[in-house]
Amino acid sequence: MSDVKIEGYELKPGFKGMATDTGSDQTMFKGVQWGKVMMWIFLLSDTFVFSCFLISYMKGRASTVVDWPNTSEVFSLHVGSTPVPLLLIAIMTFVLITSSGTMALAVKYGYEKNRKMCGWLILATAIGGLTFVGMQVFEWSKLIHEGVRPWENPFGAKQFGSYFFMITGFHGFHVSIGVIFLFIFARKVFKGDFDNGKRGFFTTMKSDYVAIEILGLYWHFVDLVWVFIFAFFYLW
Amino acid sequence: MSDEYNQQNTPLEAQSSETMSGSSGTPSKDIDYVRPAEIPEQDLYHGHSFITKWVFCQDAKVIGIQYFLTAVFTGIVGLILSWLMRLQLGYPDLVPFITAEHYYQFVTMHGMIMVVYFLTALFLGGFGNYLIPLMVGARDMVFPYVNMVSFWMFFIAVCVLMASFFVPGGPTGAGWTLYPPQAILPGTPGSNMGITLMLISLSLFVIGFTMGGLNYIITILQARTRGMTLMRMPLTIWGIFTATALAMLAFPALLVSCIMMTLDKMLGTSFFMPAILQAGEVLSYGGGSPVLFQHLFWFFGHPEVYIVALPAFGIVSDLISVHARKNIFGYRMMVWAIVGIGALSFFVWAHHMYVSGMNPWFGFFFATTTLIIAVPTALKVYNWIITLFRANIRMNTVMLFCLGFIVTFVNGGITGIFLGNVAVDIPLSDTYFVIAHFHMVMGIAPLMVIMGAVYHWFPLVTGRMLSEKLGKWHFWFTFLGAYSIYFPMHYLGFIGVPRRYFEMYDSPYVTSATGMNEFITIAALIVGFSQLIFIYNIVTSLKIGKPAGKNPWKANSLEWLTPDVPPTHGNWGEKLPVIHRWPYDFNVPGAKEDFITQTTPPSEVINAEVEKT
Amino acid sequence: MDEIENKETVASTHKIGIYLWIWGLLFVLSFFSYMVDWFAFQGLLRWTLILIFMFLKAGLIMAFFMHLFWERYALVNVLLWPMTAIACFIGLMAAEAKYTVFTRLLYFITGG
Repeated sequence: MSDVKIEGYELKPGFKGMATDTGSDQTMFKGVQWGKVMMWIFLLSDTFVFSCFLISYMKGRASTVVDWPNTSEVFSLHVGSTPVPLLLIAIMTFVLITSSGTMALAVKYGYEKNRKMCGWLILATAIGGLTFVGMQVFEWSKLIHEGVRPWENPFGAKQFGSYFFMITGFHGFHVSIGVIFLFIFARKVFKGDFDNGKRGFFTTMKSDYVAIEILGLYWHFVDLVWVFIFAFFYLW
Repeated sequence: MSDEYNQQNTPLEAQSSETMSGSSGTPSKDIDYVRPAEIPEQDLYHGHSFITKWVFCQDAKVIGIQYFLTAVFTGIVGLILSWLMRLQLGYPDLVPFITAEHYYQFVTMHGMIMVVYFLTALFLGGFGNYLIPLMVGARDMVFPYVNMVSFWMFFIAVCVLMASFFVPGGPTGAGWTLYPPQAILPGTPGSNMGITLMLISLSLFVIGFTMGGLNYIITILQARTRGMTLMRMPLTIWGIFTATALAMLAFPALLVSCIMMTLDKMLGTSFFMPAILQAGEVLSYGGGSPVLFQHLFWFFGHPEVYIVALPAFGIVSDLISVHARKNIFGYRMMVWAIVGIGALSFFVWAHHMYVSGMNPWFGFFFATTTLIIAVPTALKVYNWIITLFRANIRMNTVMLFCLGFIVTFVNGGITGIFLGNVAVDIPLSDTYFVIAHFHMVMGIAPLMVIMGAVYHWFPLVTGRMLSEKLGKWHFWFTFLGAYSIYFPMHYLGFIGVPRRYFEMYDSPYVTSATGMNEFITIAALIVGFSQLIFIYNIVTSLKIGKPAGKNPWKANSLEWLTPDVPPTHGNWGEKLPVIHRWPYDFNVPGAKEDFITQTTPPSEVINAEVEKT
Repeated sequence: MDEIENKETVASTHKIGIYLWIWGLLFVLSFFSYMVDWFAFQGLLRWTLILIFMFLKAGLIMAFFMHLFWERYALVNVLLWPMTAIACFIGLMAAEAKYTVFTRLLYFITGG
């Protein structure tokens, strides 16, 4: 993973290495499999999608003449009779970061061919993701119950509900897709598909443990987007 | 003081200073040495049924032709729409079917089809899919399955777009820029289903092209054959590669703006909708910002026009060098210019918004960046011209189209400088001057390249040559005709004739512009119909064209060096090619022939004064 | 793909410790972010703290969980330089928002 060796090619460190790699023949990213580069570039594109969403949100919120709702109050949960601001969000952040941690460990154990640990950790990640989506659904239903709609809300500027549902909706959609793939991959790991090099159903390409790292990249991206949403939408 | 002159630096010999530090890991006396392969060969999926060989085919060449044909079909629809528009403008009361609503729908669909579904799909999906694996020495794209899915996503996007012609209310008439709030409010044609289908179609297009784009980028970056460095790739690949990188980063903004506008329409959100009165009734919208849509749209829209232009730049460089038997002048700078234009294209978008009411200080920033981006573009034009200087020019159809490209692109590029300056843009904005400008740079010039490219690569794809005689007729009709259409349009713009107007109403333009409009319409119809010569040429040459054999143009780049012509699945047969040089070794002093292919090892040209590339 | 697979198994994976440390750091930073709201900081202090913690968390996730710390510079640079276009977009849209609210206040409140 970290120590790539290429026959007949000297890997230089730092920027010199970047220049040599870019100027060399065959590949620019030495030792990086196609699937991994694909996921990185897809994530770059997806970063631009979420950036455009968040930039629009920034523009919408900064130019409103109607007051923006107080997010601490809107997103608080009542424990007994005391309102705890952003409690649900804090738990959701905790869950997602934990799932990111289990995923990173799953990738590590995958490369070490430890199928049991890898499989259980992927499953743990999937459960974490599912919990996150569940909590997001709960949050949505709570807010809808309180009268927040995409087109208006009782707390302040109209655009609050619009941006909230759109951005968290897109993020939740990405998490859900990730959860589905996590369950599929957990099954593949337990069945030993990555050891056998069994061909996938859709793409008929041979399976390999790097696929778990690739899925891990996607999952960490989902966590990364949440870091930004948490900071800009809930905290700001 | 030494009088010694280093005899190796003779004036005739251009010395490239690039060292192959990446590939000389092991010192070797063998001058033909090329580093071994880093990764094992990819295993391809070979279809055996008709469906898996011609419909859901994973071979990039078949996918390329599928993209090409679908894009050309949409282009023909766009062409017919342009005839209808010109009929209305030239002869206002001739066709009663063309009402104001229909006219705006034609304007919108013509624009969207031509920019997105025709040009982008043709250059990236059509030429990209066919040429990338061949030119970099790969057997196929890196993800053939995803590549296949990407075409069918594009196909579905086209179907959804065409469906909008047949829904109640018809297609949207908001202009290809789809500005809110008008786009989703009654009063604009197609403000119900039309705009919704358009937005869905665009979203599907973006998803499909993201999939395709991943393939193109990763094949170029990670799947090149032995000896193929980035600086040995033909400029065609550099153009398509940079355009794809732009697509990956610009389409997200389009996707976001489409999603937000769809929500504004379907759910009544107010992302872009301000407080608004409609026929005296206060709508429930409020607080939104129409200018936000414009910023998002043009953050996509400006890179989009470079997505169309950059492949054309790359392809024309290769066409010129092959048919002028001369290396492209300043290859390295051409590469840096392409990359520089691509990077800068993300910082110029609001030059489309000078009169939008955006922050007035933005004009300073964007006019500056716009004029900066003109520099690498002009550099490329100089290099094309210098390439032609004292070259062994073959004045065939391909070369004629290249020359046509240079002339029309210079014309369009210069008018772009006019429009890039804020003060000059204010009277010219939304006039026919703008229409003349972008048709020159985006319509005529890339179209010249496409046609030249078809004449150039037809022998590879089909194994037969197109007729030169018919080709020359086709060229002169197209070139002179297109000039007749768009050159006078600049004058219409100068006198202030507005764009997107159904008719001249009760204005001074009614009398002063009528003759000009008629002339342009006649020219447009003639040019449109003369494309039949092209279609006839293609269809008949498929059967009775002169057999091309291998490498009929005596080119250097890899796509001409396959064992079979047309190339078969897997492209290279048993062994992948090994590259020893760049694709521009034409008329090298000391060489046996006037070209040296990329796969020719140094030991075979030991007496020639080749560039060190 | 077999060659790469063998290289992968032979090559060392990182010790579990580093992942646990980063995991812990992320919790700490999330806790600090939450404290920003709990203590109800306002204005510039609030926004600066939010941004600092956000970038630190994002940086840790990208560097260690997504392995960018160990990847070669070519990949890292290709991924990070496009963010300058986003940064330009952010800056300009912030200015645009200021202008929009200015025109709204000017025309709606003061009557232009």
